Amino acid sequence: MDTELLSDTFVDLADTMVADFDAIDFLHMLTDRSVRLLAASAAGVVLADPRGELRVAAASNEEAGLLELFQLQNDQGPCLECFRTGQPVTAADLTTPDQRWPRFAQAATQSGFRAVHALPMRLRDQVIGALNLFAAVPGPFGPADVRIGQALADVATIGLLQQRTVRRRETIAEQLQAALNSRVIIEQAKGKLAERLSVDMDRAFTMLRDYARNSNRLLTDVARDFVDGSTAEFPPPARRRPTG
Amino acid sequence: MTDRRTSIVWGQLAAHAAGHGRQVSVVDVCEVAVRSAQLSGAWLAAARNGEPDFVMCVTDLVSEQLPELQLTLGEGPCHDVLAAAAPVLAGDLGDEEYSRRWPVFTPAARQLGAGAVFTFPLIVGAIRAGVLGLYRGSAGPLSDRQLGDLLILADVATVMLLGGADGHGENQDGAELDGQAPDLALHRAEIDQATGMLTVQLDVSAGEAFVRLRAYAYSQDRRLAEVAGDIVARRLRLRRDAGPDGGP
Repeated sequence: MDTELLSDTFVDLADTMVADFDAIDFLHMLTDRSVRLLAASAAGVVLADPRGELRVAAASNEEAGLLELFQLQNDQGPCLECFRTGQPVTAADLTTPDQRWPRFAQAATQSGFRAVHALPMRLRDQVIGALNLFAAVPGPFGPADVRIGQALADVATIGLLQQRTVRRRETIAEQLQAALNSRVIIEQAKGKLAERLSVDMDRAFTMLRDYARNSNRLLTDVARDFVDGSTAEFPPPARRRPTG
Repeated sequence: MTDRRTSIVWGQLAAHAAGHGRQVSVVDVCEVAVRSAQLSGAWLAAARNGEPDFVMCVTDLVSEQLPELQLTLGEGPCHDVLAAAAPVLAGDLGDEEYSRRWPVFTPAARQLGAGAVFTFPLIVGAIRAGVLGLYRGSAGPLSDRQLGDLLILADVATVMLLGGADGHGENQDGAELDGQAPDLALHRAEIDQATGMLTVQLDVSAGEAFVRLRAYAYSQDRRLAEVAGDIVARRLRLRRDAGPDGGP
């Protein structure tokens, strides 16, 4: 365990929460740090939509394959199980026969993952989502990793719901819907930017996020203005188009 | 999970419309919303220039007066709901939170007989179509099931208002569907990404791109998510004159 990285992470997360911040940007940073801190090669935060669906709010990698793995878990998988039980769920080796979630295991191994861990995001008696960690090597999570992973999942919950005092259950629903719609705006902006500059979705996300940070604006606001066509100075000129 | 619940809600809408001898419209959305969530009334307003100021239907006198009141006063959940891009669920207008938030609207709404007001934005990401508003005479929160069903009904109404419900994109008033359940699939990343890509390919607004994507899937008799996946993978491009071209 890299203790310096660990303390840096919690300092950075706390710093972000002091001022006005973007929930999706925050969760994205959290998934990034989860990958670096824990024995994971990808991470994602999935939220429960009252429509009866689990939806991705942020992922360490914005490519379609990983997002699809979360989508798939609306039918089966450790994430769904974790959400239903409110308990951590581990699939320590996805390559063995007799998988509990065969379709999920097959899709995950095809994407290069061998183990997955899902940690619940809880607020009092309500499970609002889960932090998912995908590992490229099989094996259970060590006790230290479990504790830090759960702490990160708890911070994700606080970050998502702290913006107003959560006094009523209704407020939780309002804030989750706002976060989920932010996610949709960001996807629309990624698509527009990816098409305009011929870059991939991951790169489009990074450009949007960097632009938001450099201009000291919230990611969702930047994305909305860009989709609405009202941001004159963004994106940067098309000459940045990469070769290949 | 959603697909199943969506089918149930669509079945309720279709049965309700058939019972009145008509095609499914926003009127049915309002009436089914009231019935299934045990509320007193509903209204639906389309957004023009960012404000939900074009009331398309109301189910009773109070639900006609509530949006009017908000337009007159310039405050209330209808104004907040599009700005926040999230539902505003005021389960108890007697709670002081609401008299602080809407000092003029809240007492006026209670005087009209509303104990609870629930408003849902009709939006897809950055696309704003309108607002679905509901009230109940008595105070009290929505159950999780009621909330989920109202969110699904709001999705159906959004697709109707944008005019791409049945994929034809021909219903200028956006008020009817042709009897077939809309392929909602609103919540998949590729559909949102494809919508963004089409704003560039077709040089149109996000709302228009959303309609064109659905119309194309419908005309090809293909699933929306599948078509969106092809666009995101850059196997399919749409041309400005509606047809596809061979791709890059």
